[in-house]
Amino acid sequence: MSEETRPAEGETAPCDAGRRDFLEQGIRLAGGAVVFLTSARAAASSAPSENPLSGGYDWNEHRYAYVIDTEKCIGCGSCVRACRAENDVPAGFYRTWIERYVVGPEGSFVDSPSGGIDGFPPAQTGIAATKSFFVPKMCMHCKSTPCVQVCPVGASYRTRDGVVMVDDKSCIGCGYCVQACPYGSRFLNPTTHTAEKCTWCYHRITKGLRPACVEVCPTGTRMFGDMKKEDDPVRKIIERERVGILQPHLLTEPQCFYLHLDKEVR
Amino acid sequence: MEHARHVFRVLLVLVVAVAAFVLGRALLVPKSYGLYGAYRADNVGEQARVREPRHAGPESCAGCHAKQAQARAAGSHKAVSCEICHAPLSVHVQGGAVKAKMPVDRSYQLCARCHRKIAGRPEKFPQVVLDQHVPAALEEGVCLPCHDPHSPKP
Repeated sequence: MSEETRPAEGETAPCDAGRRDFLEQGIRLAGGAVVFLTSARAAASSAPSENPLSGGYDWNEHRYAYVIDTEKCIGCGSCVRACRAENDVPAGFYRTWIERYVVGPEGSFVDSPSGGIDGFPPAQTGIAATKSFFVPKMCMHCKSTPCVQVCPVGASYRTRDGVVMVDDKSCIGCGYCVQACPYGSRFLNPTTHTAEKCTWCYHRITKGLRPACVEVCPTGTRMFGDMKKEDDPVRKIIERERVGILQPHLLTEPQCFYLHLDKEVR
Repeated sequence: MEHARHVFRVLLVLVVAVAAFVLGRALLVPKSYGLYGAYRADNVGEQARVREPRHAGPESCAGCHAKQAQARAAGSHKAVSCEICHAPLSVHVQGGAVKAKMPVDRSYQLCARCHRKIAGRPEKFPQVVLDQHVPAALEEGVCLPCHDPHSPKP
């Protein structure tokens, strides 16, 4: 540093020192305020019980999972009807639905008339089919789910027992989650204008009942279980059988597993 | 003292800004937000209480309809829940009292939903080609003279 550029001593130095001191202390003060406020909040939030539900249900004791055996599905649509009746799903929208795949050497054909709610008519495909099967679809209740990540207001969340849900009082109906879901499991309710989706019938499973779709399935295609129960049949299937998931390349970690899944199914 | 005035002025602005932030946050953020994650924890309980379960399962039907329940449990429709063909129990019973008649669907479409031969059904599942299987006109009740829905024989 040359003699000219250095500031003259005794004139500007006290002023510089004062500003520096002020900034330093200001930052310390602000930092201290932030630490104080967040610690006060953390103290307040750790105080309540680790369980938001009353009535003997502890969400720490459960982690739910779902298995769909596509070889058993007959496409009767009972699950779609039960879901509608149990959850007041608005007409034209589906929390769960059934797709039919008709596959031949030249290509494949997929249909889902009204989500399969009234069953299926004979397939009008024009394809020389070599195999055909039904695939029930629904929310995959992903562990690492894009729908929760994109929600700008914290309305979408995953519970400790493994259910992805929407808080309709917080939801602003922006529809980001509807677009983010790679499985098409969400829609905007036309009356409330908030996002809606499968909750695995949270009002049933927290009372020890099965989701309505599992309750009515006549063939055992749909199975619901608890990964925290050692002898749970669904847990055994997931642990011991060869189960598939939809769109594994997206790394969403679905908790809905498929048995006998075909490569055509997306 | 001349320099200190600057300091106090900025300090005052800082204090007001922090106070406005803390107050605004306290007013806008829901009470239970952030207890377990970036969501309103009270919603978990709200979802659990959103409504009473409507499907109650075949066991609840057996209490009053023992004859049909036994026939169903012993026959090939043992895995077919009563509520598939009729309706959820909540349509029929509320608080232990009958509130409305349970719908009875006698249409051939009800049977066809599962047993019509179409692409997609597993081969082993019992299914019929409708026009070949039914000699009469396809109309309401056409299946019932031959097949008892509670315990059907092939």
